[in-house]
Amino acid sequence: MSRLGAGSVLAVLVVASVALAPLLTPYDPIAPNYRNLYALPSLAHPLGTDGLGRDVLARSLAGGRVSLGVAISATLLASLLGASLGTVATGIGGAADTVLARLFDAVLAFPGFLLVLLVVTILGGGALQTVLAMGVAGAPLYFRLARAYTRAELTTDYALAGTALGATRRRLLWRHALPNFVGSLWVQAASTAASFLLIEASLSYLGLGVPLPTPSWGNVLQDARSYLTQQPWAAVGPGLFLAAASLAFQFLSDGLRDRLDRRA
Amino acid sequence: MGRYLLTQALSFVITLWAVLTLVFVAVRALPGDAATVLGGLDTSTAQVGALRRSLGLERSLARQYVAYWGELAQGNLGLSLRDQRPVTRILLERLPVTASLAGLAFVTSLMLGVGLGLMAGLRPGGTVDRFSLLLTTVGLALPEFWFGFLLILLFAVRLRWFPVVGLPTQGAVLNDLWALVLPAFTLALPRAAQIARLTRARVLDELHADYVRTARGKGAMVAGVARHVAANALPGILPLLALELGGLLTGTIVVEQVFGLPGLGLAILDAIGARDYPVVQGITILAVTIYVSVNWLADLTQLLADPRLRVA
Repeated sequence: MSRLGAGSVLAVLVVASVALAPLLTPYDPIAPNYRNLYALPSLAHPLGTDGLGRDVLARSLAGGRVSLGVAISATLLASLLGASLGTVATGIGGAADTVLARLFDAVLAFPGFLLVLLVVTILGGGALQTVLAMGVAGAPLYFRLARAYTRAELTTDYALAGTALGATRRRLLWRHALPNFVGSLWVQAASTAASFLLIEASLSYLGLGVPLPTPSWGNVLQDARSYLTQQPWAAVGPGLFLAAASLAFQFLSDGLRDRLDRRA
Repeated sequence: MGRYLLTQALSFVITLWAVLTLVFVAVRALPGDAATVLGGLDTSTAQVGALRRSLGLERSLARQYVAYWGELAQGNLGLSLRDQRPVTRILLERLPVTASLAGLAFVTSLMLGVGLGLMAGLRPGGTVDRFSLLLTTVGLALPEFWFGFLLILLFAVRLRWFPVVGLPTQGAVLNDLWALVLPAFTLALPRAAQIARLTRARVLDELHADYVRTARGKGAMVAGVARHVAANALPGILPLLALELGGLLTGTIVVEQVFGLPGLGLAILDAIGARDYPVVQGITILAVTIYVSVNWLADLTQLLADPRLRVA
């Protein structure tokens, strides 16, 4: 199977199971059940129960809703913000373009994880704050890409022909240049989503991202760390889901690159 | 060449200035005034005022910014709010743990990544290539800290080869190094995966070059071709290596937490929790300075290793 196919199948599987969680498992992901602590995997609890007797599968699926939501929203924010600013900046040109480019360069010169960590600390923990932090940290890459692609498109013969026929610069940018490179942005976005999943998990694992009791893959794993030796399943379950989701996006990115990227 | 170096040096200075200014802004935007945090709930406003003055927080932002650069120039990073110790001393205490962890992880990822990438690229579709594809796919998808869990469960809890958390004894260097093996491997896996991927791609690019066809035509063996291919392909991975190496100093944060290693990563997490902002600022300054410098040096090295790039 092609990478695109494998990625799509895996992504659909993860997203569907997370979305249909209430149909797949009858248990509450948050309410403790002290009579069934550290249960081993069984038919009733396919991934066992954790230190508070909660079903690990239910927690993995509930955590996935938050984690996938955060990672995908942050990817959309980063790509829309960066790409539109990059396209606009190239369109305007001059000092505004230079200033924006320098500003984004400074953000890019910052070690990525440390930047997200600081911004999340400034904004305070929470799902929305995590989205904002990752969106801001991710935008410079899209700004650079969009700027480079737009510049390349504007030097092509068809752009010259368009100008000769009286097309405005704005029309050239949005109607002709953008559709030509938007595929490459999708390739990048899938790969960004994969890394944002891992970054969100790290932040929430450290207790700085999405706070408990709202489960996310990261904070469920943080919880599981405290009784890792008594109940390894509590860590294995959500980790497998997280790895599958990140793998799915990575495959989608590789597959889309082979399919869409003109450079390949 | 000389002019190029000058531009490069200038851009280094500008980037460092911009990034350190970003640190200044970020640290001052952190929630809660250091003085109110330090004073606790039952300090009077007069006491808080005195504290703010002694920390220089009552001055205008512009003056604080000038003072920030003045102190940076003297290598003075201020005092920790918690125990009044110089931040530079805390950095010097914590750096060895993080530096040895990062160093070990970097060397491991370099050997694993370049080795696998070269072998995979030279024989695309072969056994090593397929194994390397599996390893890089898994290495990129696994959450770092979760992979750490698995290593702890298998090698520390089940097999008891390694300590479960922390450094076993202070001072016993060999024991400490042993305790760094699992965390270093945890850090190395995703980085090795990236290096292997890029190395393989670079090698594949080179295999299509005319000189390889000529060498093969003249009867060169695989090893002979490999030597030339490696010399041409490897400078291309230098920027990635620099990103990895520079990023490792802060990339260790999560892994230090998982394995309970008292390095810079645990220190910045503690400091964020305690709102000890001089320490947060000090560690950030150290990390970004090293990050920017390493990346700049890599650009220079690539320039020296690959003459084709000097045209620009």
